[in-house]
Parts: sequence; structure tokens; C-alpha cells
Amino acid sequence: MPARRILITGVANFWGANLARALLADADVEQVVGIDTRTPPADVAAAVTLVDADLRTPELRTLIRASAVDTVVHADVPQFPEPGRAVRQLHEVTVMGTLQLLAASADLPTLRTLVVRGSAAIYGSEPGAPAFFTEDMAARGFDGRATRFQRDMGELEKLVEGFARRRPDVTCTVLRCQPVIGSTLQTPITQLLRSPVVPVTLGFDPRVQVLHETDSIDVLQHAVHHPLAGAVNVAGPGAISLSAAIRRMGRRALPIPHPLFGAVAGAGSRLGLPPMSEDTVRYLRFGRGVATERMTGELGFTPRYDTRAAIGAVADELRAAR
Amino acid sequence: MTLGQTLGRLRTLLSAPAGEDAWGHDPAFVRAVQPALDVLYDRWWRITATGAEHLPDSNPPTRALIAANHAGVVPWDGAMIATAIRRNVGRDVRSLVLDWAFELPWASTAIRRSGGVPASPHNALRLLEEDHLVLVFPEGAKGISKPYSERYRLQRFGRGGFVETALRAQAPIIPCAVVGSEEIHPKIAEAPGLAKLLRAPYLPITPTFPLLGPLGAVPLPSRWRIEFCAPVDLSAYGPDAAADRRLVLELSDAIREQIQAKVFENLIKREGAFL
Repeated sequence: MPARRILITGVANFWGANLARALLADADVEQVVGIDTRTPPADVAAAVTLVDADLRTPELRTLIRASAVDTVVHADVPQFPEPGRAVRQLHEVTVMGTLQLLAASADLPTLRTLVVRGSAAIYGSEPGAPAFFTEDMAARGFDGRATRFQRDMGELEKLVEGFARRRPDVTCTVLRCQPVIGSTLQTPITQLLRSPVVPVTLGFDPRVQVLHETDSIDVLQHAVHHPLAGAVNVAGPGAISLSAAIRRMGRRALPIPHPLFGAVAGAGSRLGLPPMSEDTVRYLRFGRGVATERMTGELGFTPRYDTRAAIGAVADELRAAR
Repeated sequence: MTLGQTLGRLRTLLSAPAGEDAWGHDPAFVRAVQPALDVLYDRWWRITATGAEHLPDSNPPTRALIAANHAGVVPWDGAMIATAIRRNVGRDVRSLVLDWAFELPWASTAIRRSGGVPASPHNALRLLEEDHLVLVFPEGAKGISKPYSERYRLQRFGRGGFVETALRAQAPIIPCAVVGSEEIHPKIAEAPGLAKLLRAPYLPITPTFPLLGPLGAVPLPSRWRIEFCAPVDLSAYGPDAAADRRLVLELSDAIREQIQAKVFENLIKREGAFL
């Protein structure tokens, strides 16, 4: 196997930075190029070839050509606001950023592998949804119930499909990850699970499914080495009811009637609770489960933690940290 | 039952589930509600169940799709069939439930913990492939919401999706006839405007509802019979037969006719509807 040259977008975020660390430790990886407008952690900044650029700059094409990478990992797909990615930028970064990145990579002759950190939010959270979505069930035409992020994910996957058609020599993998939880990761969902009271919808106890943060890095690394054409669900197998998850985390549920949920969540965000997107609100009401057979079978990735174990591990990590 | 036991059960009902599976089915929850269901089964509706020898038992657990007629405005028939199965072969049946129920607070949670799942063919297929007993009402909302004047007349079985699923999963279909469920809430009219407003699939008017308010939600104490028929073995067709529309509709019609005949047979055996 020739030495690998890998480009990572969003190298300053949790997934980009940790994936860069993991790949740099791989023997066959020659160079990691990181693109981000933000500064990654010092050790990552020192070890990767850093390109301080926005995915939407016209120079991107020249920059990517010069890098002569064989793999592009698109990790700059923020579901939630993060430092340097404000709420109103999310759509722009996800859709326009992906569009530009793929356009710039289209005539890169050395490219063989594309890995995109997608999201299982593409399926939405619906009361009558199948208990375990399989990869062929992502809606094609999104109706009025779809959230902004859900539509963005649909658009992103369409862009990747188009790219895969134009470049049959490149294996394009989209990882549809369930919400990632962990003791170091900062997302509204991890912050919610850490807050002393967790707002839940009165009378609803949805089945939730999560992915442990170490598995979310491992799966990206795995896909770089063993890509699989198409979309793959990524989650800790199994599912757990939200109430059982909250109990395992040692937290208390604060039931709020659905019509008041938006108002209470809004007030909560002023009191230090994380702001909740429409996706999160629907996830907390109806939950979501995905089938993981394609992940364990065709992709050949077995997460270290199933959903129940992931919740337990995070609960223990947080308890130890206190 | 002692007060302590009752409180213990209440605690199980209200607390987070401990032993649930990936579908959200929680056997502890089922055990906690069972005494209440037993009272309805034995005292209120005085149910006679026959044909239990046709149900596959749990050593080893094998798959089967149970298809029953649906009636009575409120789906008590599902809970009573589940009770009959639990008593006879000790297995928790997984019911395919109208999607709308999962939009309801509390009910959605209780249904899921009791083993109910949204009525999607994907769910049905996966449950069967995991060797569960699955209960389906092929008439769907059409059966449960029909007026009292049409009692014991089975509605259409849609496009026979349940047969398709059974063929694909290579599961036998066990037809099941229920008598008594029609009389629990005799629907004399409907309020479609209000139903639309509440986003409910239907809103019934019965002799007691909404006239008596919440009391109208109490089902009438009719006498019930439940009969499980001999399994319809589909293994001769093979899973690819699921794509054969004509075969699917033929099988679906045959099963519908068998359930209809068994419903009439049990109506005669039952004698009095209430006494």
C-alpha cells in the first residue's frame, strides 16, 4: 500500500482534530493536510499541514490540487453551533461548503477515497417511524415536517451521490452517525445529559440511540482505510429509552408539556441550558433508531460501545471526573 | 394482592424501564399491568379463548404472524388477544399499532413498553426475522372505527401487505377471530370535524360518549370469545412470492373469509352478547 496523503476539513473541530491524531499514528499515513479557518489544538496544529482557508474560497481548487491527496475526509459538517460556527452559518457551511469542496476535488487525479461525516438526522424523528431505519429509507422528497438540518443532510448526500457518479474511481462513504455522546465532546446533547435536570416532553419516553465519541473517531479512521460506496448508518447497536438513559446518567428528568417545550427550552438556554434545535426537540420527543447491520457487516466496523454501554461509559467517566 | 405489591407495581409503571429490549418492550411493565388486564379478561368480558394449541410456544420461540379482526373503537381487542397468548404460551406478542397512537403522550409510552410498534412493514418484517409473535389487524382503522350497524362485517384488508410481509419472512399466518369487541363501544355516529381538529383518525359518538363524559370511556361488559385458527403455512411459496400481487391478494382474501366465517361461528356459540 502506498503512503497515504489525507485531507481533513474542519480539522479544528472535535472530529477533525481527533481523526488527525489517530491517522498520524497510522504507519502508512505520510501526510495529513488540515483545512479550517479556526486554529486546531496545538499538538494537531504542529503535526498536520495546516491550510487556513474557508471551503468557500475560490482558491480552494488550487490548494487541493497542490496537496495531491488520495483521501478527503469531510468533517466540517456541523449539526450544532460550535466555536467559529454560529447558528446562522450552519446551513451555509454544510451545503455551500460541501458543494465547493466536491467541485474543487472533482478533477483531483490522485483522489481515491471520500469520507463524509453525515448524520442519521436525515431520517428525522417521527412518531410512526420504523424502529430501525435501514440505509434505503432516507426520504427523497422532504415534506413540510423536515427540519432545516434534515433538508441540509438530504442536499449534502445528493451532492455526494452526484460526485460519486462523476468519479466512479473514487469510493465515497457517507457515515450517518446517530448523536455522539462523550465526556469531552461539547454538543447541546452532551451538555443536556450533563445538566442536573434534563427537559423531556411530558408523557413521552422515546427510544434513543447514540454513538460513543471514541467510536465516532474510530469509524472515521476505519472508513479511511476500508471505504464503502454509499451511505452507512453508524450507531451503538441497540436502543434505550430516554428515561433509562437519564437515570443511568444520574440526572433528573424535567417533564414539560409539548406545547410549552419551545418556550421553556428558550428560557432554559438563558439559564445555562444549551440552545435546542428543532432536531433535538423532536429527537427528545420521538427518538430514532437505525439498523446497524450494514455497519458491522459491509463496512466491517464494530463499535466498542453499544448504545447502553455508551451511556454507561459516559456516566462513569463524568462521575470519575467530578 | 397486598398494598405493598400494588405500590411496587405502580412504581414499575411510573419509573424508567430496567429490562427493556431494543424495541422498547419491557417485560416488567407487562407484568405490572397484567393483573388489571386479568380482571378485564376474566370478570369484565368473561373471555373464552380457543385454539391456543395453534400458537407456537417458546421452546424454541418461532415466528408467526397473527391476523385478527379489529373492532370496538378503543383497541382493547389487542390487549385481550395479547393476554390470551401470554396465558396460553407465555409469550409477549408484538402488536402493530396505528402510527397515530405514538403521537399521544403516555399512551405511546405504555404501548411501546407493552410490545407495540408503529404499524410499518419494516417493523413487522424485522420482528418476524427476530422470531417474535407479531399481531396485526389487517383492517386497520377501518375495522375499529366502523359503525355499530356494520358490526362483525370485516372491512377490506387493504393491499394485503401483511401477507407480503409473512411471505418475505417465511412466517406462518395464524388467523384469529374475536367476538365481543364490537359491543364495548357501539359507535352510532362520528364527529369528523372535531376529529380533524384533534388530528385523530376518527372521533366516535357512542350511547355513553361524549354524553357521560369520562364515564363514556368505560367499555361495556360484553361477553367475548377469541379463537386462534390453524396456521396458514406459506413455506411452499418462498420469499420471492411476496412480489406476486395476485397470490398476495388471493391469500389475503382467503384469510379474510376464514376469519369472517369464524366470527359468525363464534357469535352463534356465544349466545348472549352481554349475559
